Amino acid sequence: MPSDKQRRAWAEELNGSATCDGSRLAYDGPHAFGSEVLHRWRLGNGLTVLVLVDPVAPVVAYHTWYSVGSRHERPGKTGLAHLFEHLMFGETEHLGAGVFDRKLEESGAETNAATWVDWTYYHELLPADRVKLAVKLEAERMHRLILREPQVASEKEVVANERRFRVDDDVEGLANELLYKTAFREHPYRWPTIGWMQDIQGFTPEDCVAFYRTYYAPNNATVVVVGDVQERSLLSAMRDAYGTIPDQPIPPEDIVPEPTQTEERQIELHKPSASEKLLVAFKGPSLGDQDHALLTVLSEVLFGGRASRLYRSLVVDRELAIDVRGWVSTFRDPGLFECWVTARESRTAAEILPVLDEALSRVRADVVGEDELARAKARLELGSLQQLETASGKAEQIGFFEIVLGEPAHPFRRVDSLRRATVADLRRVARRYLVREARTVLRVIPERPTAEAAQ
Amino acid sequence: MRAARAQAGSLRFELDGGALALLEPSHDVPLVTLVLALRSGSAADPAEKAGLSRIAARMLRRGCEGLVAEQIDFRIDALGAEMAVETSPSTVAIHAQVIARNLDALVDLLARMISAPTFPEEELGRLKRETVSEIIEARDNDRVIAQKAMQRSLFAGHPYGLNAGGTTQTVPRIDRSDVIAFFRRHVVSGNLVVAFAGDVVPDRVPALAARLLAGVPRGSAATQDVPEPTMVSGRRLLLVDKPERTQTQILIGTLGTSPSDDDHVPLLVANAIFGGTFTSRLMKEIRSKRGWSYGASARAGIDRRRQAWILWTFPAAQDAGPCLKLSIELLEQWAAAGVTGREVSFIQRYLARSHAFDVDTATKRMHQTLDVDLLALPPDYFSGWVKHVGSVTAESASAAVKNRIDVDRLLAVVVGTATEVLEPLRSAVPSVSEVVVVPFDAE
Repeated sequence: MPSDKQRRAWAEELNGSATCDGSRLAYDGPHAFGSEVLHRWRLGNGLTVLVLVDPVAPVVAYHTWYSVGSRHERPGKTGLAHLFEHLMFGETEHLGAGVFDRKLEESGAETNAATWVDWTYYHELLPADRVKLAVKLEAERMHRLILREPQVASEKEVVANERRFRVDDDVEGLANELLYKTAFREHPYRWPTIGWMQDIQGFTPEDCVAFYRTYYAPNNATVVVVGDVQERSLLSAMRDAYGTIPDQPIPPEDIVPEPTQTEERQIELHKPSASEKLLVAFKGPSLGDQDHALLTVLSEVLFGGRASRLYRSLVVDRELAIDVRGWVSTFRDPGLFECWVTARESRTAAEILPVLDEALSRVRADVVGEDELARAKARLELGSLQQLETASGKAEQIGFFEIVLGEPAHPFRRVDSLRRATVADLRRVARRYLVREARTVLRVIPERPTAEAAQ
Repeated sequence: MRAARAQAGSLRFELDGGALALLEPSHDVPLVTLVLALRSGSAADPAEKAGLSRIAARMLRRGCEGLVAEQIDFRIDALGAEMAVETSPSTVAIHAQVIARNLDALVDLLARMISAPTFPEEELGRLKRETVSEIIEARDNDRVIAQKAMQRSLFAGHPYGLNAGGTTQTVPRIDRSDVIAFFRRHVVSGNLVVAFAGDVVPDRVPALAARLLAGVPRGSAATQDVPEPTMVSGRRLLLVDKPERTQTQILIGTLGTSPSDDDHVPLLVANAIFGGTFTSRLMKEIRSKRGWSYGASARAGIDRRRQAWILWTFPAAQDAGPCLKLSIELLEQWAAAGVTGREVSFIQRYLARSHAFDVDTATKRMHQTLDVDLLALPPDYFSGWVKHVGSVTAESASAAVKNRIDVDRLLAVVVGTATEVLEPLRSAVPSVSEVVVVPFDAE
């Protein structure tokens, strides 16, 4: 393995032939990533590159993370960040319509993208010897995307159909959207990443060009490469492909923090559905808060696995529910601690809520058992390892934690935090976050019973 | 016991009593995947008790000698393990994953579960109620509704038409004696395959497998004589009526090929051109040109007999008629004119190069070896994939489509709101022979 000194020598060597300041390469040092080492590089135009050489399989994951998500939108223009997830596969100055995908497919690559509140990322999984194709294509669409009426109109329609699929005809998607809309009143987390339907249908090419010119810039992006690559050769190709793309001034965020919630909010959603559903969401910590890992452990004690308290109570013992889930939102700003319960067909959310409340009161009042804590930690350790099984899994972890927290090796710090959690820690976070006044309660009420619908 | 390198690459150990053990080692992450599979599946379920094999396998977690259900659940979670049951017509399998340091403890627990299950009556009642609720809950998912309707209508009267998970009518009929009879017939040494993938050294596998299967009775593989399915003639439309749908789920199905057919790989190559990639014909016409649907794809399933070939897309309600009509036209063009040499060359490069992602983890490689055994696939089905794909020509691919995809024997299943979409759909299917509307909770 090359030493850090050799890496710096590579940078000097490559910089000898740099054609502009933007293409000057700097080595910013290593990060321990478990038993592996991740290397951080930076181009003169601000592009961050994180490389993890992983020769376990002849494949490479190439992820491009942009620090732009639905939090950067404004009312009336919601869904714009997500629309780009589609537009970015379109025509560019040097690639005709459909050529981006065909070139990747011809190389056997898989490609897709995802957008959420804090970020957007584009990913390719390629045979290792094809990595330079991803370099070339991603650099091209970072700066040379064509955004005219036909491209925008077609993708708006596709996104409208995606919204129908994920939200309008999906009762859980709809409930989730309504939950965040109700729980947040100021922060952009109150609108859905896919956008409101009327906003999607109203986008113009001018909206898209303005958004692209603002946020799609090397100094707002991090490229993560994990796989069987020759690091120096990769960096040389990246320098050549990205170096001439100018950096852009990224506007400072203009986000109003969510005011403290002081009273419980309740809402009902009436939709055709097989059963009632109950969502109880408390205001939670940001991903970077040390309480996040602790609340995640508490969520696991309550909802994770068949031995968890609420699974046993609601699904097994009382047979009120068919499914229970808990999740602490992994957002840059404080999000929600969501408790989801799906009632059995003949049971109601009204029957379930007191049982849930009682369980939540108990973790505020008493410490959980050491055996419960150990089980939760074991399950979370399993989940952490599962995320590192593939090159894509590693790249996703690295990119996500880099873009949200600026710490690409955070998954391992987080595992250490999970291991150190004590029963007293869990009671403390229960008392801090499971506060009735800071919660939103949503009930999904089936519009008509299944038997009626059958007639 | 002896070990040999299996065709697809996994280490293979033939165990006493006719059981088979497989290992695909990888020491990159301290995890182990363990699959315990039966060489028989839901196709053996009695029609009036569909779901039996799945219920029987799930009952393993509900009690064994010395442990009640709750204790088993607590132990699995404490080990940092997950365990789930997967059922298909040809196999029932317990899939587990565990932190490597706890593999021994998981093997010992699973050995107790399969060697001395107690099948408590009370737990069976609880599981049946839970299963019925899960079936009802799945009606919230329109795609699942469409898939179930396609399966039971396309394979009506055939074991492939049985719902592996059962229905709200069949699950309550299953009693304890059925579960015990299932176990006696199917959980015998010669009917079992145990597979490991991940952080295990080969030397440990024979002893681990022997411990796991120590209490399993000797016996030969359960014979499963599934007839070749046939397709009803004519073009049928089945509309599954669900209120307030802004969108429709459209499936068009017919029979594909059996993996042992000479034209199996040519059909898969042709299918990849038609609907297997983001730039396929379907995606180009339905999504890229018209923006009608977020997705459009086609897939040929594999099993011991001819499985279904299915086209899937999901346009808005107002586009359902035109989208179904276009889908059928594209299908007719594909069957009549086949594929071009240029298309075949392109897709061959895609399929050959993307093969790296079929084998990039130990678990994927292990599943390939398992599938060869459980589905009775040709021994080089996966290991010779790149070669087989490379030998396909435009002529062989086109012939496979023409011979196998019978455009006069099609079933279109649509989930949507009948008052809005029935008439446009009816007129979208040329020469439609039958139109049936059923409620979304029909089984």
